[in-house]
Amino acid sequence: MFGKVASFEFGYQLKNPVLWVTFIAFFLLTFLSVTNEYVQIGSVGNVNINSPFAIINTMAIMAIFGQFAVVAFVANIVIRDDETGFAPMIRATQIKKFDYLFGRFVGAFLASIIIMLAIPLAMIIGSFMPWLDPERLGPLVLWHYGYAFLASALPTLFLCAAMFFALATVTRSMMATYLGVIAFFILYIVMSSLFSRPEYEQAVALLEPYGLGALFDATRYWTASDRNTMVPPLSGLYFANRAIWAGVAIASLVAAYFLFSFSARGSKKKQKDEKQSAPPERVLAAGPATQRFGAGASLTQVLTRARFEFGYLFRSPAFIVLMALGLLNAGGALWFSTEQDGVITYPMTRLFAQLLSGTFTLGPLLIAIYYGGELVWRDRERRVHEIVDSTPAADWTFVAPKVLALAVALFAVLLVGMGTGVLIQTLKGYTNYELDKYVMWFVLPNLAGCFGLAALSVFLQAISPHKFVGWGLMLLYLIATIALGQMGFDHNLYLYGGNPPMPTSDMNASGHYWIGPTWFQLYWTVFALILVVFAYLLWRRGADTRIAPRLRAMPRRLVQGGGALLAALTLAFAGMGGWIYYNTNVLNEYQSSVAAERWTADMERALIQYENAPQPTITDVTLAVDLRPREHTFTATGAYVIENRTDAPLAEVHLSWPQNIDIDSIEIDGATIGRDYTAEDEGYPFQIWRFTTPMQPGERRQVRFTTADRRQGFRNSNVLASVQDNGTFLNNYAFTPVFGFNRNTTLQDRNVRRRNNLPTELRMPTLEDAAARRFHYLRHDSDWVNADITVTTDAGQIPIAPGYVVTDETNNGRRTTRFRTDAPIMHFFSIQSAAYEVAEGRWNDVDLQIYYHPEHAFNIDRMMRAMETSLDLFSREFSPFQFRQMRILEFPGYASFAQAFANTVPYSEDIGFINRFEESDATVSDRIDLVTYVTAHEVAHQWWAHQLIGADMQGGTMLSETFAQYSALLVMEEMYGPDQVRRFLRYELDRYLRARGGEVIEEVPLMRVENQPYIHYRKGALVMYFLRNEVGEEVVNRSLRRLLEQFAFVGAPYPRSLDFVNILREEAGPEHAQLIEDLFERITLYDARVAEATATQNAQGTWDVVLQVEARKFYADGEGEETESPLNEAFEFGVFSAEPGRGAFSSEDVLAFERRPVASGRQEIRFTVAEEPRYVGIDPYNKRIDRNAADNVMAVTISR
Amino acid sequence: MLEIKNLTHKYPNGVVALNDVNLTIGAGMFGLLGPNGAGKSTLMRVVATLQTPSSGSVRFGEIDVVRQPELLRRTLGYLPQDFGVYPRVSAEAMLDHLAVLKGITNAKERRDAVQGLLNKVNLYNVRKKALAGYSGGMRQRFGIAQALLGDPKLIIVDEPTAGLDPEERNRFLNLLAAIGDDVVVILSTHIVEDVSQLCPRMAILAGGRVVREGSPEGLRQEMQGRVWRAMIAREELEAARGRHNVISERLVGGRTVIHVLADAQPSPDFAQVEGGLEDVYFSTLVASRAA
Repeated sequence: MFGKVASFEFGYQLKNPVLWVTFIAFFLLTFLSVTNEYVQIGSVGNVNINSPFAIINTMAIMAIFGQFAVVAFVANIVIRDDETGFAPMIRATQIKKFDYLFGRFVGAFLASIIIMLAIPLAMIIGSFMPWLDPERLGPLVLWHYGYAFLASALPTLFLCAAMFFALATVTRSMMATYLGVIAFFILYIVMSSLFSRPEYEQAVALLEPYGLGALFDATRYWTASDRNTMVPPLSGLYFANRAIWAGVAIASLVAAYFLFSFSARGSKKKQKDEKQSAPPERVLAAGPATQRFGAGASLTQVLTRARFEFGYLFRSPAFIVLMALGLLNAGGALWFSTEQDGVITYPMTRLFAQLLSGTFTLGPLLIAIYYGGELVWRDRERRVHEIVDSTPAADWTFVAPKVLALAVALFAVLLVGMGTGVLIQTLKGYTNYELDKYVMWFVLPNLAGCFGLAALSVFLQAISPHKFVGWGLMLLYLIATIALGQMGFDHNLYLYGGNPPMPTSDMNASGHYWIGPTWFQLYWTVFALILVVFAYLLWRRGADTRIAPRLRAMPRRLVQGGGALLAALTLAFAGMGGWIYYNTNVLNEYQSSVAAERWTADMERALIQYENAPQPTITDVTLAVDLRPREHTFTATGAYVIENRTDAPLAEVHLSWPQNIDIDSIEIDGATIGRDYTAEDEGYPFQIWRFTTPMQPGERRQVRFTTADRRQGFRNSNVLASVQDNGTFLNNYAFTPVFGFNRNTTLQDRNVRRRNNLPTELRMPTLEDAAARRFHYLRHDSDWVNADITVTTDAGQIPIAPGYVVTDETNNGRRTTRFRTDAPIMHFFSIQSAAYEVAEGRWNDVDLQIYYHPEHAFNIDRMMRAMETSLDLFSREFSPFQFRQMRILEFPGYASFAQAFANTVPYSEDIGFINRFEESDATVSDRIDLVTYVTAHEVAHQWWAHQLIGADMQGGTMLSETFAQYSALLVMEEMYGPDQVRRFLRYELDRYLRARGGEVIEEVPLMRVENQPYIHYRKGALVMYFLRNEVGEEVVNRSLRRLLEQFAFVGAPYPRSLDFVNILREEAGPEHAQLIEDLFERITLYDARVAEATATQNAQGTWDVVLQVEARKFYADGEGEETESPLNEAFEFGVFSAEPGRGAFSSEDVLAFERRPVASGRQEIRFTVAEEPRYVGIDPYNKRIDRNAADNVMAVTISR
Repeated sequence: MLEIKNLTHKYPNGVVALNDVNLTIGAGMFGLLGPNGAGKSTLMRVVATLQTPSSGSVRFGEIDVVRQPELLRRTLGYLPQDFGVYPRVSAEAMLDHLAVLKGITNAKERRDAVQGLLNKVNLYNVRKKALAGYSGGMRQRFGIAQALLGDPKLIIVDEPTAGLDPEERNRFLNLLAAIGDDVVVILSTHIVEDVSQLCPRMAILAGGRVVREGSPEGLRQEMQGRVWRAMIAREELEAARGRHNVISERLVGGRTVIHVLADAQPSPDFAQVEGGLEDVYFSTLVASRAA
């Protein structure tokens, strides 16, 4: 019986069109992800498209989509008999409950599994497509697909099927079951963001239902080669996760069995007794009612219908649930947005508005898709349509209210989002409510989108023969929007509802960036209205769902008034489209992302030949920059004094500059233009000038130029202007010509390069390439120069550039300030202008200034203290500070970094200025003082980059970034003690280990870093801190001092990382030779753990602690392949009365701390301590780079 | 006056629901009788502007129903065969809503019209109750109330009495009978008694064709003297079918009573009976199936 029921069910479900529609959708989506670089699901970075990692990830992610389909099948099992009215018949047969329920469950589940087979099928077929890059393909290994299917997709789907089968059994409602799925999914999202911090990783891995957490945990630190060859073994947490949820699934099935009852539910409709005998209360003749059919009547009808639809929507339980879930989702995201990696941020309205725009789009989208179908099809599903459709109400009185109701519902969602933001700000004790910002940056920009969604959804439903088709079309629209944009079809003029981004800033408010988006929103709103008109013209009225008869009827409806409206709307649409086109494509240049890529690639092919051509060196720079904040333009005039520092005559000068500026004039003494690429077809911003008489070695000449950015109107993408209404920040590359072709302007992404037929990467010169020392890594045409910079801006703003103020005048509403240097500075300048508040301070004879937005005064004192401490410490430990002033200047959060220019640090409003940190946080919590850290890092660059600059070769950035990291750690430790630093390094360790797994080219040892941030920042900090721990601070600082003595302010040949390592070797002595090699010249990883820890109280009343520890050491190659190396080093051991690194852990909790030698493998370590120990650890503060830092510390088992 | 000419409708799946239907229907109650699947509902939907026919024309007075559905809807009252309700909506609210859609936009007039109709169909006392909780009979009475909104000149009621108990059915037919004489009312049904009780004119629809048309009395007269009745054992039924033109068969006290159509007494077992409308109907169906 069971088998028959199951096979009947299987066959029955095979005929279900939903199955095949979903199958095709899954196939296409996966196929696209494999064959199209723009659509990615499971494979990232350097990992093969068909690597086991990509396969299992794709499978796991698609299973999450799959659950929505599977639920449709299994819930249908118990519900359809009631819906069709077959239930009494079936239940009257001899079938047993077990066979009925589980026979059908098995049949339906097996059928639904077919959907998931689309994924391996699509991946296999996809990976044979001829246009794929063979470098990104591995061999076809069938068992990888089988394993991924069985370990990942199947258990997830089984779980969802079982759980929602149980839910359907209990509720007997498709709707309730679907809401259950959505609730489960959103709860999942909320929980994942709640527990996204590293300390919860294990718990998440164990308890996350889809197994993604466990997969992530198992592969977290996997390198590219691991990901290409290995599958995560079904053991450990992964196995436990799958087992736990399989248990939940089986429990659900058991529950479903017991909760299901064959007996009919109490009849829903209780026949109400009608008091037939009671006389009517009023006797009324049906009065003479006038029927009206004009526009006035229609308006009444629209309003009545709209009220009716609103009532339906707002009272619909699903809407309330969706709203609540959306709120939970956005609320969760907002709540946790203010804390990341121990750094707390104020809940600024701007950040909340941005975040709401991001997270709250899912809710409106779901509501628009779902209720579009419900509203349009409700009359039909309720079988009211024949009555309603035969009334004389005009077609548009049906269409308009549905769009209106849906749009208003979506608008309500936005308002709820705003309310959530305000609520969370209040809960976090932030009461500077800025409702205007919510409205301007969240509600209004999304309003048009909401209307557009509502109109599209209703339109698609109106032309679809079935609700599911309409929903499918909406999904297709969603996918198309994502895919098209990424495939280079990225003009918002043809992407429905498309909008350029609107950058926001507290400093600059909306700037002028609201103008473009507003035009696009109007444009698409008019289009949405056109859709509404078409929805009316094609409105389905009566019994027929076919579109053809309605198309035939359309001309008649057009004549009846739709036509005039349509014509007016079309005219408005075309007019606005023209205006937008004029702005984006005529006033500004529009290039699709793909075209821009191709152009950049072609430029590289044409110009890379000039990369190493000898060029003169710039020694003196004079600039006059005229900023026009209200027009968002500038003009700049400048002059360079150039010198031939090569030992041969120079015949040519090569000039390049950014694509978006105009070069108004260039004059080079004794040179004429030889080849002007700007005048050629592709218009590369590159010119070759030829000297009439070659420039002799040592000879100096002058270059004069005028440049401008005059772009007007608004753009389709890359909307940021050079000059802001308030808060301009330009660096000199943005408006001055550079000598030679710079590879910084070439395409960087490996895959992008490959698809443009460029060599996959432009690697740096190796450390052994002596010739490369003639350049430093900031620019090739100059190092330290004399600067004379004049900046003019509107009065009311303060203009700033590197150097000291020599004159400052305000005339005719314009303020002009001239800055000069008294010693050469690095040729890397910032130009800033804003209405600033200024905080002043002093350290020795150095002026300290912080220029900030008046509303962002939160951390000014701490920044000031950090500057003082940094200057004090660095000038004491490294070398004297070279300037008479040090300035920090806030700039709008269009970017979030701080950058060190000579005595000037532009600092984004997004970091530091809005961080929230109390001094007490340093000791009692896990919080990190990022303000002090970043400030110290940037001040440190005044030494590491502005005194000494690395050669443009491997290891170059180690001399600036790694040393700036180290310097900042010293400041942090001086201000807050070592616990704060360890907390910080814990995050650095995690970030390093994660990032190395995503390396796309090759991980290199620190000494050979090729500008990889995870190496020069993350690993750099860890290495330097551990080095200091092992060889002593004095040795490290002495080595740094010697490096500065040798290379500060000295031109080519520039210093290498190797120069530092050599000095360090001398200073540290031969006993540390191995350590230095491991840290700088190799990729070294440790794996130390406490396997067992017991303690007993002895006769003296003290405690004997016995540790079983295991330790190993590995060297990794560039692909992450590891080789074990014998270990014989002293490790730190600690015995503690509280868990180190958690909460208020402090030095008082340390019972013992000693170094003990450790060899490879397992060994026993003993301690005796005075108090009862709770935790022990090997390298308990994670000073070494340990692949699993969490198991270094273990709780002690007390044996009595 | 409703004129249906050469009306044919073929569904996309190939089923021919209406095959060259011609009917002329004047004021008063017109009965459209036919078995399930005869095409009655399709015909009703076409007339009610809810279905565009494949070919043919329907005219109501000056109105071309196929080309000017908007005009017909202004004067149409339609009670579909099978209609549902919105959950949680009361009869009064729903009727009021439909009144708006029918163009009764003056609030006072609308209230009077709605209450008057609820009164008329005897639902006034339960007007605040949710429609979803109504019994089948109450629901049908609500259905006729909404069809009567706006004083329509053409009223179509599609299978209104199916599934009603005799008392409810009577009540419903009384409501229909009270509709004014100047209104065209088409009552589609498969229950012969509905037609014989109410309709001065009728047609029988089978297989998408109009197979008989006339007054119930006239049609009955045509049969007089040709209907014979016999009581037989169940086992003999098959044989009787072979020998005679059996038009109906029915169980009475465990025995089978058959009616046979014949010009002379088929055998001594048969007694002549006065043919009812039911015999007309069944004989027509038998004939049309044989054709």
